Amino acid sequence: MIQINDLKKVYNGVIVVNIPQLEIKAGESIGLVGNNGAGKTTLFRMVLDLIRPEAGEILLNGNKVAGGEDWKNYTASYLDEGFLIDYLTPEEYFYFIGGLHQQNKTQVDEALLSLTDFFNGEILKKGKYIRDLSKGNQCKVGVGACMLQKPALLMLDEPFANIDPSTQFRLKNILKEQNKKHGVTTIVSSHDLNHVTDVCERILLMEKGKIIKDIATSSSTLSELEEYFGVGQSVASFEVDREENH
Amino acid sequence: MISTFFNHELKSFWRSKNTGKSIAIKIVMGILIFIMFLYVLALGMFLDKILHSAFPAADLTISFCGILLVYYLFDLLTRMQLQELPTLKVQPYLHLPVKRNSVVGYLALTALLSFFNLWPIVIFGPFVIKIILPVSGGLVALAFFVSIIALALFNNYLAMYIKRKANLNGWVFLVAGAVLVLATSGDYVWHLYSLRDISYLFFGNLIKLPVLALLPIILAVVMYCVNFFYLKQNLYLEELSSKKANAYKSSTEIPLLGRYGSVGDLAANEIKLILRNKRSRSALIMGLVFMFYGLIFYTNPKMGEGFKIFVGMFMTGVFIINYGQFMFSWQGSHFDGLLVSKIKFTDFLKAKYLLFTIVSTVAFLLTVPYIYFGWKVVLIHFIMYLWNLGVNTTIVLFFANRNYKRIDLSKGASFNWEGVGATQLLLSFPLILLPYAVFLPFKFLKMPDVGFAALAIIGLIFILTRNFWIKKLEADFYTKRFKIAEGFRNK
Repeated sequence: MIQINDLKKVYNGVIVVNIPQLEIKAGESIGLVGNNGAGKTTLFRMVLDLIRPEAGEILLNGNKVAGGEDWKNYTASYLDEGFLIDYLTPEEYFYFIGGLHQQNKTQVDEALLSLTDFFNGEILKKGKYIRDLSKGNQCKVGVGACMLQKPALLMLDEPFANIDPSTQFRLKNILKEQNKKHGVTTIVSSHDLNHVTDVCERILLMEKGKIIKDIATSSSTLSELEEYFGVGQSVASFEVDREENH
Repeated sequence: MISTFFNHELKSFWRSKNTGKSIAIKIVMGILIFIMFLYVLALGMFLDKILHSAFPAADLTISFCGILLVYYLFDLLTRMQLQELPTLKVQPYLHLPVKRNSVVGYLALTALLSFFNLWPIVIFGPFVIKIILPVSGGLVALAFFVSIIALALFNNYLAMYIKRKANLNGWVFLVAGAVLVLATSGDYVWHLYSLRDISYLFFGNLIKLPVLALLPIILAVVMYCVNFFYLKQNLYLEELSSKKANAYKSSTEIPLLGRYGSVGDLAANEIKLILRNKRSRSALIMGLVFMFYGLIFYTNPKMGEGFKIFVGMFMTGVFIINYGQFMFSWQGSHFDGLLVSKIKFTDFLKAKYLLFTIVSTVAFLLTVPYIYFGWKVVLIHFIMYLWNLGVNTTIVLFFANRNYKRIDLSKGASFNWEGVGATQLLLSFPLILLPYAVFLPFKFLKMPDVGFAALAIIGLIFILTRNFWIKKLEADFYTKRFKIAEGFRNK
């Protein structure tokens, strides 16, 4: 699904993303973790062709992302509020997104019906523009718009950050269901290690632009990650060495 | 504490995005404000001459005293429209151990930092010094100065108070506006009383009895206290913010546009953008105001046909120019979303063309009544309408690819320099010069009609070859889109 070769991004002389090689197969569920400034969002943006890498390339289904349009047909993403048209009502936004995928209003309404639980009665028919919603509810709109597009690749940047516990729970179920039942490739970044290890089968740990760990989730993954984030430098440097030997 | 507040205030002014980041913009802005200041100062310096020619029969001092009250009524009206409430600035201090009195005092004091408080001094000050000081002496002149300043402060706090009340209840604003309008119509429409006489009643007596200057002072102090205590009791975010109480926002559809597929959807979205955001709405309203442009020029027989090109272009295309100069910036806050959505950039551009066509067509239809000044006027409007749709839209979109500045849609347009850069200045040259580059050669050859025909033909050619230009613009966009998107991401 995704093939990354020699990808590099530099800001003001500092390498913020440096991924020599990464392959993500169709149907995988990826969790991306790492401290602030590790390069998670930058990586997302490069996969979505929003910023230009200094070197390297990203292929989606064998086609280059850069300059291409084809990937937009099967990719849905929500990184931040900048993805929402904030002066529209949620309904108008959903109809607009649906329209881009040749869905008429009834089809959109039908698709939204399955999200009723997730929206928890706070999105539709509230008579608010998206800009007047809280951050958590904006996130719901963003995720809802992603679901509407019936993607093969779903990318969410810290979706758990602003939403309430019930919605976190529901979002996890949605992600699992999309991945298991519909074979959607999901990439989710989060600072909440519990959520990530719960939802994702493969965890990528980023540090200073590099992927320093690439592990299949098992029962020991959570403690392994907690050790990295909790203990800090000594473990991290050890892991870097292992990566370089590898 | 107040000095810390003052320090923060200065920083917020110089670091504000509206002030513009580059030095060039600061200089241009400084010059513009300076020129405006000079104009007002000139008005003040020659107020006696102006008054003399306006009311040649009356005594200068009497007519001066007469216009003061009228001025303050209009002052109040404009303040209610334009003056911004200095409110949310206190948000970061509310939860800190800062006394409520100093927070409210800070709010009340910063309200003084408004150009509106400067104008009456600049306009009326020179007259007081030139005419009243020599005739009536220092004490009276001082009384006048004090009254003028005190009334300005009274207006200042009254306008603030009305606006704050209006935030909680929209009717307050309407009622206040209606009272002002009735008060003015009472004089100018129904002639029930004369505002100028009332004004003279006070200011005329001020000459005889300078102690009366205490009256405006008392008014100002009372109004200040009303404001102060109102603020102190209502120091809550929702009551402070300039956001209106939220009415139910309904979803709307623009049915005709549905026929154009995703191009129509995009255009419909943009129409909603324009109508639902403050700054874009003011761009549209400016366009409506420009519809009266013709009245200024066409009633003046000295204006030749060359001017009609200019006027026609502005009236049918002011929206293209005014709104288009910030093209893509309007969508800066969700540009990332547009880039990753399943939108072809060709469609995106076509939607812009569609939007411009709709608005320009409406503008052209609105200018049809100018047929009163002869059918040729409307013909020239039509020619410039074609020119706008063909040439100017393309120019505007070409420069849009070079615009990397984000705009905050919720801020008003007056004195808002956010998003202004070199692009806008560069853009104005081809927009204004090109039609003349085509027209003037023919005019010097004594064939102005051929010149008009040439404008129309070029406009038509550009409209017919639109798809070609869209392709060019798209190719151009693909080389610049990372820079544009990154610029928009920089808040």
